Amino acid sequence: MMFPSLVHDALVVGAVLFVLGLVGILTRRNLIVMFLSAELMLQGISVSLVAWSRYHGDFGGQALVVFVLTVAACEAAVALVFVLQAFSRTGRLDAAAWQELRDAEIPRRIDRELPASDAVSPVWPQLAPAGILPARDETAEPEREHV
Amino acid sequence: MIAALLPTGTTPLLVAAIAAGTASLWLLLPQASGAGGRTGSLGGFFGGRTGLVGIVLGLAALAGLALAGRRLGGLGEEAAFQLVALVAIVGGAATVVTRSPVYSAIWFALALAGVAGVLLVLGAQFLGVATIVVYAGAILVMFLFVLMLAQPTGMAPYDRVSNEPLLAAIAGGVLLALLTTSIGRLSADPPACCTIPSRADAMNAAPSAPRADNTVPGVAAAPVAAAVVGAADPDALSADPVARLGRELFGRHLLAVEAAGLLLLVALIGAIAVVSRGEEAGTAERGTR
Repeated sequence: MMFPSLVHDALVVGAVLFVLGLVGILTRRNLIVMFLSAELMLQGISVSLVAWSRYHGDFGGQALVVFVLTVAACEAAVALVFVLQAFSRTGRLDAAAWQELRDAEIPRRIDRELPASDAVSPVWPQLAPAGILPARDETAEPEREHV
Repeated sequence: MIAALLPTGTTPLLVAAIAAGTASLWLLLPQASGAGGRTGSLGGFFGGRTGLVGIVLGLAALAGLALAGRRLGGLGEEAAFQLVALVAIVGGAATVVTRSPVYSAIWFALALAGVAGVLLVLGAQFLGVATIVVYAGAILVMFLFVLMLAQPTGMAPYDRVSNEPLLAAIAGGVLLALLTTSIGRLSADPPACCTIPSRADAMNAAPSAPRADNTVPGVAAAPVAAAVVGAADPDALSADPVARLGRELFGRHLLAVEAAGLLLLVALIGAIAVVSRGEEAGTAERGTR
């Protein structure tokens, strides 16, 4: 019998999510974003498991996804505690702040050419100062018929 | 409605319905210069004659869409799947590449919505809802709380650099190519072990399996149900999947469910213990200095 195209597409989606999470956890330096990437990998696995569950027509894969959810919740709770501890020790959410723990033969990583700040600074809205009576706009008067 | 009566295919009907819907929306939107005597609020609730035409067009569009959906057989599982898969992948990619961790978490919420949609299309209703509730409702909010607690003001410099982005991207691409080619080979030539048994075969294999009714047995009756669910079930994903997933969980995997509950308790106590221990250590360090 033909391999269902929906299952095929779902497996590809699961693979893409897994690879995205893998690249994220390899490259990003922020501890929180690294954990988000790990959760993304778990999501990819969940999609693959449910696709196989549909293909085989039983609920083993879906039951496994329930346990994946449970483990993800536990992992997030414990990991976030450790992230908070690490932050309170170093004041940074930087994974490279803990490179003293590396192996002896691995050279120390030194950041070069760190961008000083973003090229585009965020544009914040300008609020009018409060407590001043606004000047009346004569041209806008006809629009304010209910005031 | 005229388009629906014509003996045409589904595609012209769909196009006509969408065009009618577009025209209806355009006509119903408030505009400065409309034909048919629409002058501000004086044209009444429907906006005069043009608005009435718009409403009629909109009703026709809805009818045409419903008809086309029925002809397509439930308006395309494939189309819905592609939409939610696109949302999931775009959200996941943005999660990884966004510089600000807060935006990263919010993009992750979008990716979760997409994943939940994929699970729903695949027929896992309970898991789709549970993903939204557990992940987006609890875990993601926890991440955001930690971000708000720990994020320094402004964007940190370590958020703007990556470890070996080129190498990591190449590695990811190689892994994705491997995975997709192996999935494509599966699709081209399914192994003999994994073909779905036809319904008749399954019925012959398990003739004594009683047909599961809609009533969910209580937890006390779960071990009895376990023996029933263990048999091969060809249309397991079509009839009342949530109840059947529950029966599977509390039947075959009852011990594992208990273990998962214990794991949650251990994680809770462990997190509290680590926090309090860390605070004690911190005060002790400060005291010795």
